[in-house]
Amino acid sequence: MAQRLLMGNEAFAHGALEAGVRVVAGYPGTPSSELIETVAKLHGEGSAHGVHVEWSTNEKAALEVAAGASMAGARVLFTCKQVGLNVASDALLSLAYVGARGGCVLFVADDPGPISSQTEQDTRRFAAFAKVPVLDPSTPEEGFAMMKEAFELSERYGTPVIVRPTTRICHASTFFDVAEETHARPAPAEGFEKDPRWVIFPKRSFEAHGEINERLPRIASDPTFTRFTVVEEVPGEGERPTVAIVACGVSAAYGREALAALQRRAAEEGMELPPYRFIAVGSPYPFPADLMEQELEGIERVIVFEELDPVVEEELLKLAGARHLPYAVLGKLTGDAPDRGENASDVIRECLLRFFATESPDLASWAAALQPETLRFEGPLPVRPPVLCAGCPHRGSFYAVKRALKELSKQAERAGEPAVQAVLCGDIGCYTLGNAAPLDAVDTCLCMGAGITMAQGLAVVEPQKKHVAFVGDSTFFASALTGIANAVYNGHDVTFAILDNATTAMTGSQPHPGTGLTLMGERRAPIVIEGVLEALGVERIRIVDPLDTDASIEAARDCLAFAGPAAIIFRSPCIQIVAPEEPLSIDPVTCTGCKRCITQIGCPAIGFDGTVAFIDASLCVGCGLCVPVCPFGVIGAVGDGKGESA
Amino acid sequence: MIDILLAGVGGQGTVLAAKLLASAAASKGWKVRTAETIGMAQRGGSVTSHVRMGCQGEAVFAPLLTPGTADLIVAFEPAEAARALPYLAPDGLLVTASSALQPVTAALSAQPYTAIAVLDDVRAALASQAPEAAFLVVEEAPILEKVGASRALNVVLLASALAQGRVPISIEELKEAVSACVKPRFVAMNLEAIDLACVSE
Ligand code: SF4
Ligand code: SF4
Repeated sequence: MAQRLLMGNEAFAHGALEAGVRVVAGYPGTPSSELIETVAKLHGEGSAHGVHVEWSTNEKAALEVAAGASMAGARVLFTCKQVGLNVASDALLSLAYVGARGGCVLFVADDPGPISSQTEQDTRRFAAFAKVPVLDPSTPEEGFAMMKEAFELSERYGTPVIVRPTTRICHASTFFDVAEETHARPAPAEGFEKDPRWVIFPKRSFEAHGEINERLPRIASDPTFTRFTVVEEVPGEGERPTVAIVACGVSAAYGREALAALQRRAAEEGMELPPYRFIAVGSPYPFPADLMEQELEGIERVIVFEELDPVVEEELLKLAGARHLPYAVLGKLTGDAPDRGENASDVIRECLLRFFATESPDLASWAAALQPETLRFEGPLPVRPPVLCAGCPHRGSFYAVKRALKELSKQAERAGEPAVQAVLCGDIGCYTLGNAAPLDAVDTCLCMGAGITMAQGLAVVEPQKKHVAFVGDSTFFASALTGIANAVYNGHDVTFAILDNATTAMTGSQPHPGTGLTLMGERRAPIVIEGVLEALGVERIRIVDPLDTDASIEAARDCLAFAGPAAIIFRSPCIQIVAPEEPLSIDPVTCTGCKRCITQIGCPAIGFDGTVAFIDASLCVGCGLCVPVCPFGVIGAVGDGKGESA
Repeated sequence: MIDILLAGVGGQGTVLAAKLLASAAASKGWKVRTAETIGMAQRGGSVTSHVRMGCQGEAVFAPLLTPGTADLIVAFEPAEAARALPYLAPDGLLVTASSALQPVTAALSAQPYTAIAVLDDVRAALASQAPEAAFLVVEEAPILEKVGASRALNVVLLASALAQGRVPISIEELKEAVSACVKPRFVAMNLEAIDLACVSE
């Protein structure tokens, strides 16, 4: 055993490896990605023996790889972010019926806020829909224990089990005792055993539905599952509590923090909080109804803190209705807890003050007098949204397409035709950031791969416009292929701008099929994007370097003018995976302050001091994109006479 | 309990700074939790790292600290110092770098953003609302130039903050954490930056 400072996701990887996981497959997505990266790292270092780990092409592929391995009796782990489960849902819903043999754990990370996601969907809800148990950790330590227990539960009941942490659990670090070496549990010697139950079929599904209905109530009262629902009682003077605080996931940690702060404050001021019961629900589905009924005996008011959906709140209401329990439930549905976004200790503290205030007039006046003590800053502050990195090649791709559209438009106007209008469909990845000013190059963004096909729908209704779909290389393999086949098959007049930067950049530079690198350390022949496009029947394909502005504009014009599906592959590596070049500079004497470099491309390395533009040498990577943008030619290398700094 | 907030711009190195503090605290036998901003905001957006230390053996529950409770805020950029202000405890210490990173939004707008103006506003806010708080503006540029690496910003700021003696972690303990957490070829450069930061205090 060794004590290590580990991020939640790293610790969960250790937990799964210690449980003997044999196959780990997933698709990157914040906040889940570090789990697989950790397994791959430990495998690469030679301390995780016998494990197979892979980034699959997308989540559906990953879950199916895991399902097959589980049927052969191996312990398997699937990972994704919440919206990734949507992609894998086809497999999941059937898998719940077919069942698991080797322990089958789905690690699905939710993102309240959302901080880096399209939706605030709740995987606990998804678990209930798919009829599979879900565990919800309140701390990284608890998540570590859950990862191990989930494999046991899965095997005991033959069901997939979801472990669903949220961002603040995934990305919180603390110290863990972890094994120095781990060994994957060998799959049973008899291997995959043929059995009709592995084949989903209407008659079998009806039977399996019955098995699911029978096993869920058993899981709901299995102590290995319900031990993650923890009850604490804070006594007053001999009284039994009549109020309860129920919290799920990380809200339990915030709740404990808020209660401790209130207790401290009350004690300082000679007040006493009423006695209460605190219940941290770590096993939300199937809901541990018997346990909760028992723990809520004598309780008159319950307040529920949970992020995303009111899952436990609704379960408590259902329980009250079904068993005629006399408690009132406060939470999201009643406006007593925030209806969305992240919770936090101070938010819960405010809710608790209101909750306790109704217990006695003394408490009410005390609570009303408490002022939050936070400093305010009232001066003007620049907003700082995320942006494409300085030197990001995507900037060149967006710039070239916009310039090409402008040139086509001018050409049309010269010929007495109406100006060219265009809709730019974006997608999921760093390049979603092309939406920000001044690029302003993302008109739609829906889900992985959607731009490719949405552009086609737009083109049907608005054939007079140009329709461009931007897609990254990793997203291309994950979910653009069927959409491109659709365009060729149905003859849609759209242009695909494929941003090939040789990595999955947004989630932290993971390899993908186009790179040929695998997590097992083998290097395979990369799948070539132009080869795929050609095979799918795309007739016009151009490949350019997005940092070569003239060539990029020419290629974009060519593809935009082509009737039928056409593709431009903008190929240049993400600056996070290559060494930077020497920074450029702007000559402050000859810079006219026209701000063209800023208003055209918006590189974060270029600032404006009120009179002239300047380049921040600590950010500039010397990509050169800004050089031809300057109409006065004053941007250049330090010392080449152009970009001479004073 | 010691609560520390690190506030900066994605890519400036707040994550490593949090790791250094956690490692220093753990070597003293304290309980520690840290939490990071990972994801979209890392691309040049505002980011924070939260470091919570149970310095008297007390349990640390939540990964995030609460507004009004930070004993120390280390800001990597003046506007981020201002943004983080609501987190500062009334008697806390706010340490900030002095060079501004202009966001594209500011470069585009008619009103340029300058570090001096924001720092003046922060100073005024502290004087009127938290007279017991302390404020330190670090002149990091000459030190970073001397060690030849802008990535040493995090240790320069941490060393300047710890040298104030308000948080019971010594410069020696910070150096040990650097040796334990930083890639071997960067250790010497970071240690030099720490020494320079302490001298200029
Ligand atoms: S060369 Fe120009 S566009 Fe490229 S990173 Fe430097 S300032 Fe930005
Ligand atoms: S990480 Fe790579 S792809 Fe993402 S914004 Fe930066 S340079 Fe562009």
